[in-house]
Parts: sequence; C-alpha cells; structure tokens
Amino acid sequence: MSNDSIVQIIRRSDGSFVDANLVRGVKPQDLLIVEREWIADRTDILHELLDKGVARENWPQSLHWNWQRKAPELTLLAACGLGVVCERQWQGVMMTKSAPYVARLGADRGQPLIYIDYIETAPRNWPIPEIGCKGVFRGIGSLLFWEAVRQSREEGFHGRIGLHALPQAEVFYQQACQMTPLGHDAAKQNLLYFELSRQQAERLFQARGEQ
Amino acid sequence: MATKRTMTLNLTDAEMQVLEELSRKKDLTKTAILRQALRLYQLLDVRMERGEKMYLEDESKGEKSEVMVL
Repeated sequence: MSNDSIVQIIRRSDGSFVDANLVRGVKPQDLLIVEREWIADRTDILHELLDKGVARENWPQSLHWNWQRKAPELTLLAACGLGVVCERQWQGVMMTKSAPYVARLGADRGQPLIYIDYIETAPRNWPIPEIGCKGVFRGIGSLLFWEAVRQSREEGFHGRIGLHALPQAEVFYQQACQMTPLGHDAAKQNLLYFELSRQQAERLFQARGEQ
Repeated sequence: MATKRTMTLNLTDAEMQVLEELSRKKDLTKTAILRQALRLYQLLDVRMERGEKMYLEDESKGEKSEVMVL
C-alpha cells in the first residue's frame, strides 16, 4: 500500500473514533483481496436473508457486487481506487473515473467532473435490522465521498462530482452529501443520477474549513 | 497523487491555439487538458481493441457515423 493517510471512522457499538488508513492508490491486486475478504460476509448475509424470508426489495442492493471483476478497470489512467483499511481489513472501497464524464448541471454543463463509478462499505459494516446485523463501523461512505470531492479539486475540476445512486443510497447523496438529483437515467439501469456542482462543492469546502 | 515527470512538448501554433482554447473553455490548465486527452485516448483504445465501436450521432439529422481512432 502507498499514499496512505490516517483518518477516523466510528465504531457503531460505542460511538468511539477509531484510526484507519485511507489508501489513495488502490491497485487491481488490492481489489482481489477486498473481494476475498468480503465474499464470505456477503454469503453469510444472503444465507440469513433467505433463512429469515426477508423480501428481496429489502436486501442490500450491492449484495451481488464483485470487486474482483472491477479490478482490471484500475489499469486505466482515467480510473482511481481509494479505500479505507482498519483492523487489517478493508472497510470500504471506491472507484472513481476522471474521464470521459462531464457535468450536466446548470452553469457546470460540459465541464469535467469526477464520476464515482462504484463505492461500497464492507458487508460487515452494513446495518440490516431484518437479520439482526448492526454493522461494525460507520462513516466510511462519507469519508470516501469527501475524498472524491478532494480528488476533483486536485484534478482542477473544482469539486464537481457525478454518480448514479442505488435506490437505497439516494437519501444519503441528497441529504448528507447535498447533491442534486437530475432524473433517472435509462442508459444506467434507470438509476437516479446525482451531481455536486462547483458551487455546492465550494460550500462544502467552506463548511469544512478547507478553502 | 502519483509522482510526476516533466517533458518538453513541441506544438505548432495551431495546436497550441486549440490547447489554449480548450483550456479556457473547460477551465482547466493546459497540462490537465493533455492529461484528460491521454486518459480518453487510452480508454477508447482499450475499448476498441475489445472490438467495441464508437459512434457520433446527430439526432436532429438522423445521422450516425463510426469514429475511427488511430
């Protein structure tokens, strides 16, 4: 691992802050390890969901994801992988793309942005009340999202971000990340497309005291 | 950010003019424009090597043309 920095995530059981490594240069090989770590938890969760007869619409919507299959994409110059490691386990990963995506929103239309292609926290961190899972850590998704905003600024894209949200994550992007929903995208499984404009990003940077 | 290396780039006046126009239009540095161009070129090259095709479409005229990349 390289390019690490120390960040903090929150242990759900007691609300305490725990040091974690933010890995900015996730390699394709790292994604193989991520999948190896997470597949057992995915399988256990699926088993529990089936056992308890939980309706399919209440299943975690990234349950079927496979980071091993996404690994070759990280060989592209346009792709960037970021992840959070804590207690020697990958707690969340994200893949962003710096091309060929451009903004659709207002004054930013046609300007480059960072597109969050995939972002997921480790299955062990998912709270799933239907099967009694409380999740181990929280705060990882927000942390990774914020890193994407920073990446956008470092690239000269002024914090602009775009992404297609899974339905279960729509509220998070709209309320916690203050992104603007721009309608369902027929070209992307009809997922709701969100953008963070330059202006919205500037407000976030100001609120965080990073100007 | 990854380690960066410096190189000298020789461009014609016309090429430099386009680079400057794109830089202004996209609100990016000239380096960022060239970096984006390289990312796009690689992306297209990889996908076309896989056998995928790229088209430009003008919906108003109903025209669709295949783009060839060297």
